[in-house]
Amino acid sequence: MKQLVDKFKKYLRVYVKMTTNSFVIWLTRRSAFTIFLIGKIVRYSFYFGFLIFLVKNTNGFAGFSGNQILFFTATYVLIDTLAQFLFRSVYSFRQLVVSGDLDLVLVKPVSPLFRSLFGGADPVDLITLPAIIGVVIYIGSLLSPTILHTTFYILLVINGLVISAAFHIAVLSLGIITTEIDHTVMIYRDLVSIGRFPIDIYKEPFKSLLTFIVPVGVMVTIPAKALIGLVSPLGIISSLIFGLALLFFSIKFWHYALKKYTSASS
Amino acid sequence: MNKYLKILEISLQQEFTYKLNFIMWRIRNIMQVLVFFFLWSSVFQNSNVNYFGYSKEKIIAYAFLLIFVRAIIMSSRSVDVAGIISNGELSNLLLKPINFFKYWITRDISSKFLNIIFSFVEITVLFLILKPEIFVQTNFVNIVLFVASLLIASLIFFSIAMLTSFVPFWIPEISWGAQFLVIVIFVEFLSGAFFPLDVFPTFIQNILKFTPFPYLVFVPIQTYLGNESIQLSLLSLTVGAMWALILLFITKKIWQKGLKVYEAIGR
Repeated sequence: MKQLVDKFKKYLRVYVKMTTNSFVIWLTRRSAFTIFLIGKIVRYSFYFGFLIFLVKNTNGFAGFSGNQILFFTATYVLIDTLAQFLFRSVYSFRQLVVSGDLDLVLVKPVSPLFRSLFGGADPVDLITLPAIIGVVIYIGSLLSPTILHTTFYILLVINGLVISAAFHIAVLSLGIITTEIDHTVMIYRDLVSIGRFPIDIYKEPFKSLLTFIVPVGVMVTIPAKALIGLVSPLGIISSLIFGLALLFFSIKFWHYALKKYTSASS
Repeated sequence: MNKYLKILEISLQQEFTYKLNFIMWRIRNIMQVLVFFFLWSSVFQNSNVNYFGYSKEKIIAYAFLLIFVRAIIMSSRSVDVAGIISNGELSNLLLKPINFFKYWITRDISSKFLNIIFSFVEITVLFLILKPEIFVQTNFVNIVLFVASLLIASLIFFSIAMLTSFVPFWIPEISWGAQFLVIVIFVEFLSGAFFPLDVFPTFIQNILKFTPFPYLVFVPIQTYLGNESIQLSLLSLTVGAMWALILLFITKKIWQKGLKVYEAIGR
């Protein structure tokens, strides 16, 4: 047990160090930092602005009320922003592979997966997070959830992050095998953005695809539905098991991909 | 003329060299349109209702037109200019006996050509899968005005891509930042590529008409759908053309100023 606690403390120290370094790098690029921050705020404002005008005129759609639709989008924004904040270093991983600099990560006494996944937290997302959480709480409160449903929601949002971590690990692994990251990660972003609306709006076969193959529904739609009270306890347990299984297989894939790393160019 | 034909040929070959990049770009476009299609299909579940001045057939036509219009307007190689300015590669281009703007327009044409072909294939495939009830314009005048508005929109997008690409002349570290803000955020949301601008209240729509963004996607699609009278479509076309001229003029001026401060950093 003590070993586990020591290990946790060590990784926490490493994470704080990596995050501090990442923030310092951003501070040296203040103009870029400002532009990206403005961009994110404007983008989210447009998302919500569009939806507010839409649901005001249509009184909701796909069987959901206006506030419920807004809550789906707020949940998507929350999970997407948290994932970008945590896993931003995935976006710069390709350079490590093609230059062979991944060698320097592999020889350090820290898990290379931990370093590659959490190596560069994004301060732009960190700044926007409090406002996003505020929006989620505000819209969520309009739906009058019970304490149990709120607990389910928090659990499933964490599960959404676990699924997102699994996706990012798969992207890293593919990056090692194919040296292609940029488009894969953008495709992932686009797929997740499909979840900004409840997956109930999609027709078959797309709906099944988004539920079982690319589990955007489990990641984004189900947490929001749980708060509304539309998910049974069995559905919640299945979602959690599904998330953990995805994480397990993505880590397996990572180990497989590492064996394919050729250290080219180093 | 011959050298630009050669550039066109080389550009097409380059597009095919990075096949994965191209396929991924097309997949991303299709996904955005699919979200649009399903969202609005869901809103128009009851096909007798009209929202924001659209019938179900017209909003579905909007979704399919988005594939085609985005392929023409937003497929562009001019966005690469920011990168070559910030890493100094622009020097190679300046040494060659070619006109900078003609070079990038030629490269844009190659990109658009390829994207248009693929957009037709995608529209056909999606049409066969989704089997939607769709509005088809039969009025010849609307179609002619639609084609003209696409040409104008291409020029506006070219100017916007160039203007945002010139930012690294002064601030090299934000080569991608300016494009992110203007092209990914403002163009995407205010051009009608993400949702029809009719969703906004009238006063916001009126303000937007004084910006170049609606003339990129929204106005061409409105012209095709015939949602406005021919006179109003002609007026929109004239305003769009004026925006294209103004932006092209500013682009040339900024380019001349940028060249004076260009330091070929990285070379």
